[in-house]
Amino acid sequence: MSDAFSRGLLWGVLIGAVAMAVLLGLAVGPVPLSPSEAWAALRGVGDVTSVAIMQDIRAPRVALAALVGSALAMSGAALQGTLRNALAEPYLLGVSGGAAVGAVVAVALRAPFGVVPIGAFGGAVGAVILVLAIARAGGSRPDPRILLMAGVVVGAFANAVIMIALASSPPDTTRNALWWMMGSVAAATWVHVAWLAVYVAVAGGVLLTFAPEIDVLALGDDAAAGLGVNVERAGRRAYVVASLLAAATVAAAGLVGFVGLVVPHLVRARAGRGHRAVIAAAGLAGAALVIAADLVARTLRAPNELPLGAITALGGVPFFLAQLRRLR
Amino acid sequence: MHHRLSTLAVAAHVFVGASLGCARGDGRTADSASARTAIATARRDDFGDTLPATLVPRRIVSLNPATTELFFALGAGDRLVGRTEYDLYPEEALAVPALGGGMRPNVEAILGVRPDLVVLYASTENRDAATRLRAAGVPTLSLRVDRIAQFRGAVARLGEILSDTATAHVVVDSVDRTLERVRAATRGRPRAATFWKAWDSPVIAIGGGSFLTELVDIAGGRNIYGDDPRPSLDVTIEDVVRRDPDVVLAGPESAARMRAAPAWQALRAVREGRVLVVDTVLVGRPGVRLGEAAASLARLLHPGAIQ
Repeated sequence: MSDAFSRGLLWGVLIGAVAMAVLLGLAVGPVPLSPSEAWAALRGVGDVTSVAIMQDIRAPRVALAALVGSALAMSGAALQGTLRNALAEPYLLGVSGGAAVGAVVAVALRAPFGVVPIGAFGGAVGAVILVLAIARAGGSRPDPRILLMAGVVVGAFANAVIMIALASSPPDTTRNALWWMMGSVAAATWVHVAWLAVYVAVAGGVLLTFAPEIDVLALGDDAAAGLGVNVERAGRRAYVVASLLAAATVAAAGLVGFVGLVVPHLVRARAGRGHRAVIAAAGLAGAALVIAADLVARTLRAPNELPLGAITALGGVPFFLAQLRRLR
Repeated sequence: MHHRLSTLAVAAHVFVGASLGCARGDGRTADSASARTAIATARRDDFGDTLPATLVPRRIVSLNPATTELFFALGAGDRLVGRTEYDLYPEEALAVPALGGGMRPNVEAILGVRPDLVVLYASTENRDAATRLRAAGVPTLSLRVDRIAQFRGAVARLGEILSDTATAHVVVDSVDRTLERVRAATRGRPRAATFWKAWDSPVIAIGGGSFLTELVDIAGGRNIYGDDPRPSLDVTIEDVVRRDPDVVLAGPESAARMRAAPAWQALRAVREGRVLVVDTVLVGRPGVRLGEAAASLARLLHPGAIQ
């Protein structure tokens, strides 16, 4: 099988998977709608209830799941390359912990519902700044290993803050915050979708243009410096953009784990060495997987919902183990 | 505490009277601006949302055990097309389709039964569902039913919406009469300092924000955590020992665990064998059986005071 053919096959499979996931996500739900009814309602034709179900519940939900999956997977792919660490992913780097602290603080201060994502985003950005500061204090130039350690430490600290805040909150606040920390796209609206779409388009586009630089960074610092790349600046730039991308998903849908870690590994073996292809393929695969995971989350125990973050972790771990065995 | 309770009760009576009054005058006095304001206020729920003035609901989803029970008590159980999986009383409620939980409910499943009114528990967790349902054109009524006064308000509100204020009146009156009978029977008796243990680990006490503290008060007791405004709170065993209650109220299993636990022997009430078992099914929610619940507590706290 030629290289070009196998690449073409990969893109075909990925685009087909996204299309299939979108169709299933729109077609399946607790209210049975025939494909023709669903299609009509999606275009605003039919009774008010079906139109509301398609246009305001299923469609924004599928769109948000796609954007969250795509953003997390692209972020993970970029971070793994930049930090030359197969375990690097936005959550391990403290982004999720910072975002969770921001959200919990917003909830504890009785901020209105719409303000919680802003708190999450602020917390995530704060964590990124803190991790960079710690990494810099560890040496003249941020070592990827120190960056990872700083992320783990900031995450642990954030956990402690969250537990203290939750222990002294009323029960409905605690449940709200816990649900959010388990990840969900159930509250998706077109406003959420539009905001995240802007982030994914801008930050994802920037990561794709950084891709050649990430290719060089992935060779190692000395090799990269030898090739004329300002290692510190390039690494920091990719790190900040990838973290912001993950932070935006946390603000929109809470903590959806494992996508940023697993999806890049799934596509890397087939998309080749270049990070432009890896990041783009991860974006497509992430979108398809999170739409599918959300479909499982809302149908497995319908009409009750399961937390999306738990489904992605449940599905992600076996995938990851299978991948490890193949690589051995 | 006592004073605040009676103020609340008076306020509730005024509120019930006002909403019943304006519902009766509906139509004839509709041209009066003050009557319109009164109706608008009565139709505003605990999220601040309002119901269309002309709404006569025929297909109701009730996502709170307390309100589901109330719809049956008001004779409108046959209008329910959805409930939560926890709404098990009265028995007829089991025939109504269960639509999952009452917190963060599944909006699509609710829309699927085509309701013309959805009644929600007014917790911040349900804010999003209420907004979505209203956006899809379904009126919502979000009620917080944690205190006896809120129960009276909820009955009045539902009676008005069902255009059956007379039955609502009967329900509130019968509950109030029983509560008054219990209060009278325990009046003048020594008020036992009461610790209500709601959970074992962590130890959770019922606080002043719960209707259970009001029931203890009516039944001739005094909640040792009644000064805390929260409905329930985490406490330490040592703090309970410091407050030295005369009696402990707990569910059957919780009471058995407490009697067997070495740490709880530090409490005088436990050593002296005054851990009393409450009927958690009866006292579990502020509903139409509030009066019976108060009577059952009075029987525990003051044996012989009430039949």
